[in-house]
Amino acid sequence: MSIYLPIAEMSVNIFVLFGMGAAVGFLSGMFGVGGGFLMTPLLIFYNIPPAVAVATEANQIVASSFSGALAHLRKGTVDVKLGIMLLVGGLIGSTIGVYVFSLLRSVGQLDLIISILYVVFLGSIGSLMTIESLRAIKKARDQGGEVKVKRPGHDSWIHALPFKMRFRKSKLYLSAIPVIVLGMLVGVLAAIMGVGGGFIMVPAMIYLLRVPTNVVIGTSLFQIIFVTSYTTIIQSTTNQTVDVVLAFILMVGGVIGAQFGAAAGHKLKGEQLRALLGLLVLAVCARLGYDLIITPSDLFSVVGTADQGAH
Amino acid sequence: MMIKIRLLFLFLIFACSTSAAASMEKLQMGVSVDLVPVSSGFSGQDIVIFGSIENAEQAPLYRGEYDVIVEVIGEMEEAVVRKKERIGGIWVNAAAREYTGVPSYYSVLSRNNLGEVSDLSVLNNMGVGVDNLKARPVDRGNIQEFLTQGEFSSALRRIRIEQGLFSEDSAALEQLSPSLFRATLSLPPNVPIGVHTVKAYLFRDGKKLDEIENSFQVRKVGFERWMYDFAHNQSLLYGIMCVFLAIFTGWAANAIFRKN
Repeated sequence: MSIYLPIAEMSVNIFVLFGMGAAVGFLSGMFGVGGGFLMTPLLIFYNIPPAVAVATEANQIVASSFSGALAHLRKGTVDVKLGIMLLVGGLIGSTIGVYVFSLLRSVGQLDLIISILYVVFLGSIGSLMTIESLRAIKKARDQGGEVKVKRPGHDSWIHALPFKMRFRKSKLYLSAIPVIVLGMLVGVLAAIMGVGGGFIMVPAMIYLLRVPTNVVIGTSLFQIIFVTSYTTIIQSTTNQTVDVVLAFILMVGGVIGAQFGAAAGHKLKGEQLRALLGLLVLAVCARLGYDLIITPSDLFSVVGTADQGAH
Repeated sequence: MMIKIRLLFLFLIFACSTSAAASMEKLQMGVSVDLVPVSSGFSGQDIVIFGSIENAEQAPLYRGEYDVIVEVIGEMEEAVVRKKERIGGIWVNAAAREYTGVPSYYSVLSRNNLGEVSDLSVLNNMGVGVDNLKARPVDRGNIQEFLTQGEFSSALRRIRIEQGLFSEDSAALEQLSPSLFRATLSLPPNVPIGVHTVKAYLFRDGKKLDEIENSFQVRKVGFERWMYDFAHNQSLLYGIMCVFLAIFTGWAANAIFRKN
């Protein structure tokens, strides 16, 4: 059954989109990730204009992160103060990101930059994740037990920075600077790549800020709700590229898929999950990278004024 | 059904009026619809353009010496054509050319190949036919240029043909009687929004005798139109609505699945 997307201005198959939402939702439930970094490339592979894919995906992530954050708020695993500091950076980053997004779009380089950013981020994070988890699997086999994630030494340069604040829930006394900078980076990515940024924020919080693992996911989801909400509104007012019909189909598919994914995730071991996710991330990266390198079937492209939505 | 009744009615009028005597050949034309509504299930639509040749000389008319070409032209728009180049191993949009006066949609319907209807030079001057389309490159002082000239112009023409937005069909026009014709146009699902002008030309011996113009509108209707207008005219409110929809969906999912 085809449905016409009012903002993307194209007919798409509703079941394909729903299936994509459910599949990515399943994976995100299973691995405990937002899924934006999988969904946006999938939408682009399905010929949704990248500008619409990125902006709409921010909208979808609002739904999935809100749903996830509710559970964490109930369990009390959110450091609200830390979340708000991350958010301050996130809002600044997102504002910059949307501005850069419009600029790139007007000079015709948006699609390229989105692809390059994906290849770089997915490539590096996918490799790190795969290597780390394969090592962990090997170690677990040798020792025959559960493996703890090792944290780096205690006195790093980050803890020498000024403007220190106390974050009670995380039991941290930490400078506000790295928190805001991290939030900003994630905000920029949310706007340009259409991701929540959890895949950057979670490792950075664990390894750089040394936030206790039990509050990391909840706090990052808390921040993601607000940054993606803000990004959705700014994209709507600046570029008019948020397609609410597309977003809604993906949201519904996503939240349903996530429930089944979470159940499936309990049956796998942590390091096996991380290895699988790492490989998946690398596969998406390879596909995007391949498209950048092979000679395109058509060297020319046409953009009409109607396509840009400028009136 | 409405369309059929309307068609029949107009045919009757045309059929009667053809008998009126006068000196000059005239063309009459009608379009089966004024409005092509684009709603959620839109997957293209067929529209019928019909008309009659009036005040024709009877003998040549019956020998089929008159010929009709129908043109359907969308609104003029701007278009940017970009060419990719390999830079540092990656394909990057490098050179670009901007055009104005590019039809968003263009289709020619005829009974015979355009070359048989008239001299190519005549059609060329009239700008009729996909090969004779022109646009104005912005960097060349807005002087019209044929879309068959230069690699960027040709690419624009070729891509629009591949997208089904520029087309030529020399079998789409039927002669129902010596003086009555009917052309069927299949609008593709990606037909641009806007007013589409329909022009018909009457030819005899390669010479244009008359032309007539009509139009129809392609417009988003209902929910799609409302959403599009909302997103463009009230973008802040639209963005806030999108966020609330997402919050509600996330909350609902959480509430439903927690019970289970």
